[in-house]
Amino acid sequence: MSDSSVSAGIDQHARQVRKFRLQDRLFHHSTQLFAFVVLATLVGILVSLTIEAWPSLKEFGPSFLWTNVWSVPDDEYGALAAIYGTVVTSVLALLIAVPISFGIALFLTENCPVWLRRPLGTAIELLAGIPSIVYGIWGLFIFAPLFADYIQPPLQALLGDVPVIGGWFSGPPIGVGILTASIVLAMMVIPFIASVMRDVFETVPHVLKESAYGMGCTTWEVMRNIVLPYTRVGVIGGIMLGLGRALGETMAVTFVIGNANRINNSLFAPGTSIASTLANEFGEADPGLHIASLFALGLVLFIITFVVLAISRWLISRSMGSEGL
Amino acid sequence: MSDQAMQTGENSALQIRNLDFFYGDFKGLKNVNLDIAHKKVTAFIGPSGCGKSTLLRTFNRMYDLYPGQRAEGQILFHGKNLLDKGQDVNLVRAKIGMVFQKPTPFPMTIYENIAFGVRLYERMSKSAMDDRVEWALKKAALWGEVKDKLQQSGLSLSGGQQQRLCIARAVAVKPEIVLLDEPTSALDPISTAKIEELINELKSDYTIAIVTHNMQQAARISDFTAFMYLGELIEFNETSTIFMRPGKKQTEDYITGRFG
Repeated sequence: MSDSSVSAGIDQHARQVRKFRLQDRLFHHSTQLFAFVVLATLVGILVSLTIEAWPSLKEFGPSFLWTNVWSVPDDEYGALAAIYGTVVTSVLALLIAVPISFGIALFLTENCPVWLRRPLGTAIELLAGIPSIVYGIWGLFIFAPLFADYIQPPLQALLGDVPVIGGWFSGPPIGVGILTASIVLAMMVIPFIASVMRDVFETVPHVLKESAYGMGCTTWEVMRNIVLPYTRVGVIGGIMLGLGRALGETMAVTFVIGNANRINNSLFAPGTSIASTLANEFGEADPGLHIASLFALGLVLFIITFVVLAISRWLISRSMGSEGL
Repeated sequence: MSDQAMQTGENSALQIRNLDFFYGDFKGLKNVNLDIAHKKVTAFIGPSGCGKSTLLRTFNRMYDLYPGQRAEGQILFHGKNLLDKGQDVNLVRAKIGMVFQKPTPFPMTIYENIAFGVRLYERMSKSAMDDRVEWALKKAALWGEVKDKLQQSGLSLSGGQQQRLCIARAVAVKPEIVLLDEPTSALDPISTAKIEELINELKSDYTIAIVTHNMQQAARISDFTAFMYLGELIEFNETSTIFMRPGKKQTEDYITGRFG
């Protein structure tokens, strides 16, 4: 091989390397761009919500948050009833959904016969895929009447006279209301929480569980003392995923919550949530304070979700710290 | 004397009779018969897949966790068959502890790792529990290294320390038998030496059955050795006999490194 051909070969090689480097840089920058689009979107939404909500924020100030008025004729708006409805339905939904999801995940990972594992797992995933509007119409036309006829009266008879909590079950059993919305929400978040829990439970090494069984632990003791602590982070994450979904759920809640802009002590009473107020009123809202207040509600929901996320992060980092992991 | 003991079943902690084991349709153990001597170390050796771990896992019914696995025959423990359906599995496992190949500290503090198992079966005061934890950690020759950090996570220890923690955990519930499934195969030589020393001390109080890949280890620490091959118990005798004057050709081939 002559000298010139060798140097030509080296040249060729250098060109190739330069090309690769260019490609690599291009790739790096484009992925970076995509990632920043997420940030820009987040900030953009926050800013535009604030701008649109500004007239309302200026008019009512922070008392918007704790004023229990929502009157279109008087042009006076306060978010308390909607915040109450959102928080109460979501928390109730989690109270119902978390133990059930835990049971489902436990059964699927520990007790379920092998042949049933796949069909059951698939069914749960399918349940997660049902559009929320379907839950909504099912809730309104099928669940709510059954609930009013067969569940609310006995519940009232059983708990209605108990001090303190009796009030929660007072009032006419009309089917739709805060409790109905909570139950439908619970059904909607169960598949999410259960499948996250199942997935994280399956990450526990067999040998770790075996060593607990090997000490004579029962399945429950293994779950409670080994699996749950080991998967704590994932479990909290799954619950928060469910909570996030419950807080923002619109269609199903709009159908079954009753859409009454007030706070009632009874869980049987109709109420409203932020998302359902927005869905109900945006269509016919007049420009001005009404629409600005709806934007302000949206901003509040945004902030609530953000706070929930922040709290879950904090919980996770704190529990990891306490175990010295 | 030991031959006598083996045959009559006197002084034996476990008597295994006509034991077959199935993974679905595959027969993992074929008609195994032997006695595990009381307060002695019994080693199980043999090439991978010979059934030695499977055999160990029948002693505490660990296979129960997995559908499709079943055992037939008898494993007598205090005269009762462990394989009986009515047998309380949790109680068996409290009496027959197990330590695994990889260290498996529970996701909790060092103290809790020990106290957890004790609490399953015994109620005791805080100070009694403190004493028990200290006792178990001393038994496992770990006390000196961890006494100042009992509230740290068990996962913060080194591999060898974790394994000794697992032994302490098994010992803390005061079992009669301790099963060791290749307890040193994931450890460095120094940690291995410590564990072997420990096994030697533990046998004054406990019956020990150990599965090992390491023939030198079996020779060093055990009183009896069982050689297994393809699901069958080929030869079982005093360790010195197995290694010096093996009775079967297969045993001799294996211990001299001709196969396996």
